[in-house]
Amino acid sequence: MSASLTGTRPLLHTTMKHDGRLFAPWILIASVLAGSSVLVYPWVFPTEAERAFLTTTVGANPALGLIFGPAFDLSTPDGFTAWRSLALGGFLAALGAIFAVIRATRGQEDSGQAELLASGVLGRSSRLLTGVAIALIGSIAMGVVAGGLTIALGGQVESSMLLGATFTATGWMFGAVAAVAAQIGSDARTANSIAVAVLGSLFVLRGFLYSIEAPSWTSWVNPLAWMTETRPASGNHWWPLALAVGFTAVALVVAFTLEARRDFGQGTIKPGPGPSRGKDRSTLKLAARLSRGPFITWSIAFVAFGFVFGFLAKSVPDLFASDPTIQKVLAAGATSADELVAAFLVTILSMVGIIASISGVQTMIKVRTEEMADRVEPVLATAVARPRYFGSNVIVAFMGPTVLVLIAGTVIAALASGADLGVTFGDTFAQAVAVVPAVWTVVALSAAIIGARPKVILAAWLGVLVSFGLTLLGPTFGLDDWVLGVSPFWHVPHTGAANPDYSGLLWVSLVTLGFLAVGFAGFRRRDLAR
Amino acid sequence: MADDGAVITIEGLTKSYGKFRALNGIDMHVERGTVHGFLGPNGAGKSTTIRVLLGLLRADAGTVRLLDADPWHDVVELHRRLAYVPGDVSLWPGMTGGEAIDLLGTLRGGLDDARRADLVERFELDPTKRGRQYSKGNRQKVAIVAALASDAELLILDEPTSGLDPLMEQVFQQVIGEAMSRGATVLLSSHIMSELETLADRMSIIRDGVIVETGTLDDLRARARTTVHATLTTTPSAAELSMLHDVNVDGRRLAATVDSARIGEAMSVLTAHGLTALTVEPPSLESLFLRLYDGENGTGNAP
Repeated sequence: MSASLTGTRPLLHTTMKHDGRLFAPWILIASVLAGSSVLVYPWVFPTEAERAFLTTTVGANPALGLIFGPAFDLSTPDGFTAWRSLALGGFLAALGAIFAVIRATRGQEDSGQAELLASGVLGRSSRLLTGVAIALIGSIAMGVVAGGLTIALGGQVESSMLLGATFTATGWMFGAVAAVAAQIGSDARTANSIAVAVLGSLFVLRGFLYSIEAPSWTSWVNPLAWMTETRPASGNHWWPLALAVGFTAVALVVAFTLEARRDFGQGTIKPGPGPSRGKDRSTLKLAARLSRGPFITWSIAFVAFGFVFGFLAKSVPDLFASDPTIQKVLAAGATSADELVAAFLVTILSMVGIIASISGVQTMIKVRTEEMADRVEPVLATAVARPRYFGSNVIVAFMGPTVLVLIAGTVIAALASGADLGVTFGDTFAQAVAVVPAVWTVVALSAAIIGARPKVILAAWLGVLVSFGLTLLGPTFGLDDWVLGVSPFWHVPHTGAANPDYSGLLWVSLVTLGFLAVGFAGFRRRDLAR
Repeated sequence: MADDGAVITIEGLTKSYGKFRALNGIDMHVERGTVHGFLGPNGAGKSTTIRVLLGLLRADAGTVRLLDADPWHDVVELHRRLAYVPGDVSLWPGMTGGEAIDLLGTLRGGLDDARRADLVERFELDPTKRGRQYSKGNRQKVAIVAALASDAELLILDEPTSGLDPLMEQVFQQVIGEAMSRGATVLLSSHIMSELETLADRMSIIRDGVIVETGTLDDLRARARTTVHATLTTTPSAAELSMLHDVNVDGRRLAATVDSARIGEAMSVLTAHGLTALTVEPPSLESLFLRLYDGENGTGNAP
């Protein structure tokens, strides 16, 4: 072992012990996603006819392809499992790996832990190697657990193992991407944003290119598409995994080279001097300022989402025309092209809303992060009442996603109304506005958690998770309406319908008020963390 | 203000975190216009007490009055009149020191621009650096400037000078002196003896969540033990030396400590044994604190 890696073993051992369990939720969610699919499929779609209908509806809704990627074969449980969990499971593995690497590198440099470690008998690359090792090991664990569980629940051995292997490979690649990002950004937040932005763009790009049936060479420039091309249960190609290993190796070499050249605590992007006097002099401005960086990133992403979804909407008529099964359904009068378009628009705008709510939940979680970092203490030691501090953050957490939904909604509406879809700009934009109250409910749940029970901070994500699961995955499971109704997005009215029913929004908003009341009451009463 | 001129009145304050009892019946009074030193070993409950005073933690039992108001209920009115410097200042990583000073100052109800500029200059603070670039001492300066740039009646300072160099420590003492001349009352938690000796009028010592000693520096000194080194011609018996503590006899040489009130008694015993050499050291602040911190022979109301 070279001198620059001295001390990696004990450091890895301790880090595994303390931070290793942080990988567990990612492993759990991905495994449940894969395992549940293989388990429910025969139960929800017992007959050939139902399986064929599933294939048609999925094919008719390009919005689903955007998230899940192409459906190669939905007529078998394993094909369904692969379609439903490959993209998302890989995404989760990548997030877990990114956070693990950044936490063990930049995160420690920010908190000062790293300095303590670096002064000990520790090579200069040991911390990076430790972070990378955690990501690699965690990804392997995720692949083994998810694959193993799927096999145990009745999945075919080879395709389930391959599915698990794609999780591992995705985790590896993005662990390595994060290792590079950690050298570029000069603090944990910047480094995280860089790595997650790369992941997010490649993810959307993959879905988009498959949905518009782009030329096949486009699959080979996107590492995430390599994973799709393994085609578990509909071909079982193992060799794209070799590309992933190669990508990981190259990115790691880059990361370690950059690491060896940079100064401790510094990055490629360096901060300059700032203003000596402050303009932000209220808690509202403080909250807005702390969310500003992420908000700018989100806004850019939502302009991009708008274009991606908008172009998809434009291609809907072509897709309908080219798909004989849809033609047959339309000819039988079971549904009309307008209804399919309307359903499509509701789905994508709900998806926009769910993704936007993530930024609101982040803002609320920031309240807790600030509290744990002792930065709320000096603010509340001034003449600021707790409800005002909390309220300022709630306002920002509500306004941010609202603006994001409207940004994407405007772009989608402009593109959709320009296409030959029979929808107007006003209809589509109104649909985007109708999604906003549901977004607020999801954010309000996180406000309730942060205000009243911050110890279970992970529950703040519950709203996003439930909405995502029920709105996008629920219908393919054939769940009952009362279950689907748990998601606030289920209550979003179809504004294009003849008599839109707005009463759902009223109930959803009452729930929002309830959550907020819990959050405010909790934040006023509880002890603040030191 | 309060009937007895007290700015801070704490009686029987208890606070637990889960099963751990951090404060176990604190009593403390801080008079208007004084600097009250607040000290004790790490983890004794100083910061917890201060956080109760700031309304950040809710008292489990006992009464706490601050400027004749309730720190938990009257937060906003109270905080307009007090300023706080934490011991471990954490700044917003992307915000400059100058921006943080203006934000915190304005949130408290406005700051005095002239005094702000003066303090920035005297503390040699660069207000254009970002929070993440400051060293510990410089983060501390940001908090001190933010707190002192307005006219607060009460300053609550939790180890405010940790990380400051001796020059800045001196500036800090001057600045506190100026605040005193404006009529401010100060609660000063500190481990720096010279700082307390210069500034504090009275002090309270906390250990294991209880105030074990309170009074002026002279009161504390009087209650502390004097160190005696003596050379004798005959060896006294153990019974004769019962008023001495920490006795160490090495042949004819004796070293011991004695309560200040019993020095006379001790002298007469030692004289009877043929005293040939004698040094008597009055209790130093350090030795006083060490004894109190150590928990050996406190005033008896420890749990």
